Formats: sequence, structure tokens, C-alpha cells
Amino acid sequence: MLSLGPLAFMAPWVLAALLVLPVLWWLLRLTPPSPRVIRFPAIRLLRDLISREETPARTPWWLLLLRLVLAGIAILALAQPVLNPRTAPPGTGPLVLVVDNGWGSGRDWPARQRTLGDLLDGADRAGRPVVLVPTAAAPGGEPPGAIGPVRAGEARRLAQTLEPRPWPSDRRAALESIRKLQLQGSAYAVWLSDGLDGPEAAELAETLQRLGGAEVLAEAAGGLPRLLLPPSVEGAGLTARVLRAAPGPSEPVTVRAAGGDGRILARETAAFGEGRKDAELRLELPAELRNEVARLSIEGESTAGGTVLLDERWRRRPVGLVAGRSEGSDQPLLNDLYYLDRALSPFSEVRRGTVGDLLGRDLSVLILADVGALTDTEADRIEAWVRRGGVLVRFAGPRLAQHADRLVPARLRVGDRTLGGALSWSNPLPLAPFPEQSPFAGLPVPPDVTVARQVLAEPTLELAERTWARLSDGTPLVTAAREGEGRIVLVHTTANPDWSNLALSGLFVQMLQRVTALSAGVAEGVGSGTLEPVEVLDGLGRLIPPPSTVFPLPAREFGPDALGPRHPPGFYGTDEARRALNLTTKVTTLDMLRGLPAGVSRTGYAERGETPLQPWLLGIALALAVFDLVLALLLRGLLGGSRVRARRPATKATTAASTAAALALLALPMVLSGEARAQDPEAFASKAAGATWLGYVVTGDGALDEMTRAGLEGLSRVLNQRTAAETAGAMAVNLELDELNLFPLLYWAVSPSQPRPSDDAISRLNAYLRNGGMILFDTRDGRFGAGGGPGGDRLQELVEGLDVPALAPAPPEHVLTKSFYLLQDFPGRYAGGEVWVEAREGRINDGVTSVVVGGNDWAGAWAVDGSGRPLNAVVPGGERQREMAYRFGVNLVMYVLTGNYKADQVHVPAILERLGQ
Amino acid sequence: MSQTPAPVAAEALRAQQRAEALSSALPPLLVAAERVAATVAQGVHGRRRVGTGETFWQYRRYEPGDASTMIDWRQSAKTQRVFVRENEWEAAQTAWLWSDASPSMDWRSDRGLPTKRERAELLVMALAVLLARGGERVALLGGGQPPGTNRFALARMAMTLSGPGLGGDGLPSPAPLPRHAMLMLAGDLLSPLPDIHRVVSSFAARGLRGHLLQVLDPAEETLPYDGRVEFAGLEGEEDLLVPRVEAVRAAYRERLEAHRAGLAALARAAGWSYAVHRTDRPPQSALLALYGAVSQQPVG
Repeated sequence: MLSLGPLAFMAPWVLAALLVLPVLWWLLRLTPPSPRVIRFPAIRLLRDLISREETPARTPWWLLLLRLVLAGIAILALAQPVLNPRTAPPGTGPLVLVVDNGWGSGRDWPARQRTLGDLLDGADRAGRPVVLVPTAAAPGGEPPGAIGPVRAGEARRLAQTLEPRPWPSDRRAALESIRKLQLQGSAYAVWLSDGLDGPEAAELAETLQRLGGAEVLAEAAGGLPRLLLPPSVEGAGLTARVLRAAPGPSEPVTVRAAGGDGRILARETAAFGEGRKDAELRLELPAELRNEVARLSIEGESTAGGTVLLDERWRRRPVGLVAGRSEGSDQPLLNDLYYLDRALSPFSEVRRGTVGDLLGRDLSVLILADVGALTDTEADRIEAWVRRGGVLVRFAGPRLAQHADRLVPARLRVGDRTLGGALSWSNPLPLAPFPEQSPFAGLPVPPDVTVARQVLAEPTLELAERTWARLSDGTPLVTAAREGEGRIVLVHTTANPDWSNLALSGLFVQMLQRVTALSAGVAEGVGSGTLEPVEVLDGLGRLIPPPSTVFPLPAREFGPDALGPRHPPGFYGTDEARRALNLTTKVTTLDMLRGLPAGVSRTGYAERGETPLQPWLLGIALALAVFDLVLALLLRGLLGGSRVRARRPATKATTAASTAAALALLALPMVLSGEARAQDPEAFASKAAGATWLGYVVTGDGALDEMTRAGLEGLSRVLNQRTAAETAGAMAVNLELDELNLFPLLYWAVSPSQPRPSDDAISRLNAYLRNGGMILFDTRDGRFGAGGGPGGDRLQELVEGLDVPALAPAPPEHVLTKSFYLLQDFPGRYAGGEVWVEAREGRINDGVTSVVVGGNDWAGAWAVDGSGRPLNAVVPGGERQREMAYRFGVNLVMYVLTGNYKADQVHVPAILERLGQ
Repeated sequence: MSQTPAPVAAEALRAQQRAEALSSALPPLLVAAERVAATVAQGVHGRRRVGTGETFWQYRRYEPGDASTMIDWRQSAKTQRVFVRENEWEAAQTAWLWSDASPSMDWRSDRGLPTKRERAELLVMALAVLLARGGERVALLGGGQPPGTNRFALARMAMTLSGPGLGGDGLPSPAPLPRHAMLMLAGDLLSPLPDIHRVVSSFAARGLRGHLLQVLDPAEETLPYDGRVEFAGLEGEEDLLVPRVEAVRAAYRERLEAHRAGLAALARAAGWSYAVHRTDRPPQSALLALYGAVSQQPVG
């Protein structure tokens, strides 16, 4: 290896060939370019004229220079120059490579691998053994350990198997294994760190330095991984917190929410404030969409730490409704649960049933509307559930007023209080503004909400702080008490308009939303059994099917502590009840790597990387060679210049050379055309969408397709002449490849030789028909329907699986008979065959039939040649039949384009007549 | 006449139409001939003696043996004698045309130009059309057809020209032509001067009046090439490598001028006319010059 500043040559001995250049120069100077050959009639007059001045022909200096440069570049290229060569590591002993492959390394893993490759190349060239130390535990759970010393080639193979892990690095274990290493000579260590600080970071760096020499590679502050903490639920939105490793200048960060199928549901950008390490952002989502969110991720971050998986805990709260009365459907507006259901269902999942049924499943809020006394078992179950975090909301009512049980926030007086009744002086009371500590604080109180009856709480010391809402005279309307993790809330009036019109107001909905948002969710319950991994995150933040190294997780161990190589972050449980294990429940802080011992250099990843220049130089040399060839041809007059063709054998070689050059130039676009073919669908779509085309299905039978094409061209010509429909002509449609939805009409000539479309094509045809497309099937046997011909059977085979509704012969008053011309029948090349359309119109597509089936070979009758003469005779014959065939075509296209508009039109005279009377 | 291949016939028709179009701008051409080739064909050149013609020549007394239909009864009625009306013998001039069909004529220096042969044939054909319209009889020298004056003769000429051609080595072969006929030779006339002199003098000796038309490509006149060029002949000449064409250009031009001067002198000596036409010039000008040369009384 020869090093010249940033340039080095891998095969420097090739440079000796540069000595040949002067010889080449001399040879090129001596050899004149071959002359142009010109045929000239007056050659007789030219004879004997040359002796006057004899200057030897020379290669022009610029051509000489070009060829010398070409040769020089070729020699340089063969010497394998390399820009920014990786210098051999200092020291004589092995090269110790410590690679952080914990979650933080996923951010720019390819750059790390490049750097690793460069380092290994350097070690390979210097013949140094390599010790490779990954710092993250292997998927099997084995603690990380040093591998080696091995040869660099072997180490490269090992390095290629390294990948970022979705769990944190275990630098302690790596450190132990390094301490145990027995190394010959003075080693040199390179730590490819993920740039994140940890308790052992400084110690590790120091140990490495003691091996001989050390350097640390780490990204600058802006390139470090960021951490997305699990979001909290606030109302309809999700509030997420993003951490960065080092405070720095203001920096935007975008978080997006994706559904289970990968769709982006929301995208929100916030900014890290200057000097701050965290940013908060709020994702506002409609309740329906929020339920679909399966993961949040930081945009541009490919780490497990930048991804949070969401499970039921972040979903809509299931709310259980229990009524004290049996639910009668005769008077729904007086039903206890009607208003609750209406208020809750837009943003929560509402379930109904008995207490036992509801608590059997996950539930976050249980609403008991005027349920008097609960049985003891019920009360015990509810109480246990509330202690675990459930929210029990009770509404008062006649039954509760009589039989209050212990599950109320305040002791109630027996009976109720009536305001504004027939025997009372008082009026129904409005609500007072909500107190500050109440969850309802800030909700506007409509003045027209009044309460006519309520239950009263016994005044106690803690009643005031337990009160969430009061009437204007100060009596508590909503009281709540904490019970373990959960709450018990009592609304002192009914959930229906019996006692108060609160249930009719918008305030009712808002209050219920607030209460629901209080509930801690359903996933807190301790399950039993084991949770199978469903999907896990890999080191790059992608959800993958769990590899065999992932073990099921015992439900009681589910939590941040379980996270590790055996239980990577991901979804556990069953497909229906998935629980998300997030890395950021375990890793909650983030710091930049600092505190390295003196003498350890720290560099980034970016500026590394040697660039081999050989391909570029060879490319330049090839371009110059082509240029030289063109110049040589120009000089000899073979390109342009004289038009006289050289026919002598001696010039054949040059002709062949120029042909070869032309072929070489042609080959380039041919190589590139592979890409061009990939863009074909786009070109097809833009062509098809640019105008109204009559599509026809390519059957694979060339003659038939050509006939169909000619037929549709002929029909298009007639349409453009006679109607306002401007069709661009016929366009072939390949069912397997092409986009169908761009064509209003597909003409499908049934061919015995056409293979059955693939299932994919059939499903796309179904979609096409459902979305308002129309297919005209033409069995071309003239007998469709009446007795049936071979085409009908073939058609059935072809379209097996196609969602075609029941068909019936077109009735005489069908729109097809009057959409442009008034027609009695629909002849094509053959007359008399029936035309079948959808039997039940008006079902979908506004009553426009999606298929028209017949056997009259219309395309055959429409087909014209280039000068407009018909290609086929019609049977039984006569130009009138052809005209009728064209009229059918016009009617059909008009029907396709305008739908059943003409069907409405026929009623106009009758309507006008009636209006006139 | 053998069946002519269709492409040749079509090509001939096109050639004739081109010639007709070219000559349509000019009036019918009458050869200025003080002596007309001795033929019996009727033409427009009065022979100042009695013969078949349309112009009145003289009355003479009826002699026994004259046909009674020859008697001019009106004249006879004026006097006691019987007169016979005689017309002047009017004969047509015969023009023999020749176009060089040697391989060196099939050449052009630029794709935008016609080949020399195309141009020479066009001019020959146009001249033939004009002559035929003037009532003269035209024929191709070496074409094997007798002189004619009608459209069929023209069509035959066109066919012969468009066909494989007359071949030859750049000069017409001496043929026994009627005396006092007119001759027009069109070609590049690059053959050595003594050869041309021999041909011209052999024709001139029979009293034929002739016209030489040299058709040249502009490149032959200017030699517009540069650098090292290997020239190849079209008629089997040996190749010639010129190291620097620009160095010999002036000498070449001198030599061409000398050749032309020799041609002009040769024509003058034979009493013929000599004109030069370049294929990048319009054919009308050449045709006009030919028209003038053919219809003019020879000077001196």
C-alpha cells in the first residue's frame, strides 16, 4: 500500500506502467491516423499534384493528449486508488472492537456497520487479529462476551451477524469479559458506542485504554437516539413525552401514530425547547381512530426506544351500564340507561348486562343507574374491582333513595328532596360553578340545567372535599370518594329526566367524559397464566413475528423488569387481548456519553469511510475511450462529413468498429429500460386517465383482440361523429396487470383460448364492478340466452368467482333501448340473440347494470379498417343491421356514461302533463 | 420492343415529366440551321425548292403527267392556262443528343445535390422536349432509336436514359450521323483533351454543328476537402493518397481551368459552343443557355 496524503494505492506496483507513457506518446506520434477515403471523379486531375509539398501527417496534439490521459487514467485505476484510506490501527497487538448493539445503536446501524467494516479492512491489511465485543446480550440471553482474538476475515463474518437489539446494552458484562482477556502485545481498542451514558461507561473506557490505546466513536449530540415515553391518555388525545440525550438548541421532533396495519393515523410535531431535554406533544384523534392506534414512533428514529406500542390501556374505556329497573323497550326515553348510552357511546365502548357479567370482563367504568341495594357478593366484587382502579359511578333514583348500600361516597339520608313540586314553595335549582378541585372544573354550566329532585348526603367533615358539583344552594350534586386505586362517584340525581333535566344537556356528556377519563384502565388487573409473544420489536423498531428465542411471559411478571433478551419489547398475550411491553417503561432516562478518561479520543461516525476510486476512474477511462472512438471516426469522415459510402474491404473494420460503438451506446438505455418497464403502470394510468377510452380485455387471441380493437375504434369514430361523448379510441386492458378503474366500459370478447383470470384479477374485477364499472361480455356465438351456445359455457368458466348478480333478458323498456337512439333489439354481426342484464335493478350503482351479456359479436359489426370500411359482413345482412349495431354501441356507451338518466327522462312528459293540470 | 420492367417505365415517366415541367417555361425550340440534315421528314425548315410542305412556293404550267388534283383551279380560271400549285419543300432538322452515362457521372458530393448524371439527363430530356415541340426530330446518340418528333419518341428517349444507360467511357463513340444534323454532348468531359478532340473533330468533319455542355459537381470545382485524404476513382482508377489536400487545392484548380480552356478552344475551333453547368445551380439557367446556343445563328 502506498499512501499519498488522503490517497493510497492498493496495488502501487501497477504505477510502474506509467513509465510506458512516453513510449506510447512516441508511438502515437509516429503512427498517423488513417486517412479519410473519398471517392472523387476528377481524380485524373489530381494525379502528380502531391509531390509539391510533402508534410508527414501527424496525429493532432490534442488527440495525442487525450490518448495519453486515457492510458494514464487506466493505469491509475488498475493501481486501485483509495481515498481516505483507513490507516492501520496503532500498536502491534490485536484490535479490540467494542460494539454497542443495545437499543440505542439502531438509530444509525448501517453507518456503524460501515465503520466496523472499515476498521476490519484496516486490521486485515495490517494482519492484526481482532477481538470483537458486542455489549448487548444475545437473543438467547447469554451475557455479552469477547469473541477472539480471531483473524480479521473471521471477525468480518462475525460482525456481519451483529445487529441492534431492542434491549439495553449490558456494558458491565462486556467489561468483565474484556478484563478476562489475555492479549499479546499492545492492543488498540475502538469502542463503537451508541453515544449514551451509563454507569459503566467511564470504567469501560478506562479499561480499554489500559489495553494499549483506545478511541471512542460516538455521534454528536444531534445524532443521538431519542426516547419516546409511553403516552398518557387525556380526554380524546394522547400526550406523549420525548426525551433527548443532551440539552441543546431548539430542535423539532415529530411523532406519528400508526394503526395495526401500518397506516399513519396522526402526525404531530413539537420542539425541544432550547436547553431542555424533553418535549411534550399531544396527539388529537377522534375516538374511533384512537382505538386503532397500535404504535407511536418518533419519525426518523429506528430504535426500539423511539417506538411505543399501545394496547388496551390506551384504548377507549369500556363502560358497563347496569339499570335498577328491567329495561323496557316500550318507553325508551324514560329508560334509565338511554341517556347514558347516548352520551357515552361516541367515545367509549358501552356494555350492558348484570354486574357479574360486566365484571367478568375488563371494565374501566361501571355505571349503576338507580340500583338500590346490591347483593353482598356483588358489592364485594365491585369493591374489589374499585380497589384495583375501577371507577364506579352511581346515579340516584327512587330505589337508591330507599336502599342505599355501602358503596356510596357519602352516607345518604333515606328519602329524597323535592324542589319545586306541587306542594313546595321552592323552585328547581340550577347548578353552581364547579369547585376547583373537582374533575369537572372549567366546564361551562348552562343556566337552564335544573334539578328538581335529589338524594341528600348526611353532612360530614369530609363531605365538602368529596363534593365535585353542587347546586346553587350548596347541596352536593356529585360526590366522590377514593377507594383503593379507584373511585366511587355518586350523582345525586337520576340519569334520566325524571328528577332533573341534566341528562338532556350537553354538560351531562362532558361530565361523563371527564369521569371516564379518570379511570385507570382495564389492563391493571393481575392476570394469570402466561402471555405468549404475539409480535415483538426488533432493534430497528420494526414489529416482527417473535423469533424462537422469545419466551412466553408469566402474566404476574409482566412489567418493565421482565424486559430483556428473553422478553423483548412487543405485544404479548393473545391476538384479542394484547398487552404491550415497552422498552421505555424500563429505560426512562437518557444521557449523553461523557466523562471519558483523558487520552481517549472521541470521534463521530460520519467522517470515516474510505472510497475506492477504481470504479470511477475506470468509468472515466471508458468514457474517454468512447470519445476517442467517436473522434477517430470523425477524423476519418465516417460520421457526417462526406456522404460517400466507403465500400472498400479495408474500411469494413472501421465500419464494424463504429457499429460496435453504436451498439455499446444503445446498450446503455437498454440496461436502463428495466427501470422504465417498472414505471409502465404509471404511464398506462396517465394515458388511460387522460381521456375516455373504451377498454377491451386482452384475451391472448391475437386475431380476436385485433378485431375487438378495430370494432371499438369504429364505435369510437361513430360516437365522436354523432354524440357529445368524446372517446379517444380503444385501449387494450390486461386483467392481470392493468388498472381497471380507469375505464367506464370493458368489452370482453369471450374466447375459447383465453385462460381463466387469476384470483387476484377476479377480485379486482369484482372491485371494478362494485365501483360502478361495466363489462360487456360478448360470447360471439349469436345464441346467448336462447338455447345457449358454446360461448355461454366458456363465459361461465371464465368468470367463475366473479360477483355477478342474477341476470335476466333486457326488458323492452330497459334504458339501453332509449339512452340515445330508440331501439327494439340489439343486433351485432348476428341478429336476434338476447341481451341479458342485471335482473334486479336499483340495487347498487343507482340501478345501472354492471354487466351486459350477449352473443351478437358487436365488435365484429363495428370493426372498420383504416379507411373506415367495415371489416365483416353482418348476418343476415344489410347495412341497416350494421347501423343498428352501431346504434346499440352508441346507446351502450351513453348508458355507461350517463347511467339511468334517460330512464328518468321518459317520465318528463307525464310529469309536465300533470303539472299543467 | 421488349417488355420494359415496370420500375424503369415509371422512372422514365417521372423523368419525362420533370423534363416537361422544366421546359414548360420556354417556347418551342427551332434549331437555327442553315443547312438541314438530308432527310425526307417534314419539318419547318424551308429548303427553297419545290417539295412537300405547307408554304406556297410557285405556280407553274400544267404539264402532262401532273395529277389533276394538283391543279389550282382558282388560279387557272383567271387565265387561259392551267396552273399547278407547288409548295416549298419544308424539312425538319434532326438533333442528336448524348448524355454521359459513365460511372463517374453517378456521383454527388452532398446528399442535397443531384448526381451529375441526373442533371445531365434532365437537361438533355428538357432540350428534347423543347425540340420536339418545335417540330424537330430528336434522337439519342447511341440509343439505337431512329429520330422522332412525337411524344412516343420522347417516351422512348426517357426510357433509354432511365434504363441501365448507355454506358461508355465518358465520350460518345463516333457514329455515322447524317450530315448537317445537330449534336449536343452533355457530360463531365473530364477525359483527356486529345480524346475529346478526336471525337469532336470526327463529328465536325461531317458538318455537324455541336454543343458541349460540361456538367460538374461543385466539389469537383472547388475541391473542398482538408487534411489527409485518400481519393478513390469511380472508373477503376488507382487510389491516390493526398497528405494535405489544402496544399494541392490551388494546383488542382489551375489544372481544371486549363482543362476547361482547352475544351473551349477545341469547341471554338470546331465551330461548336461550350458551356459549363454546376449541379448546385438551377437547371433553368443551363437550359436557357442551351436554348440560346441552339437557336442562335452561329456567330462568324
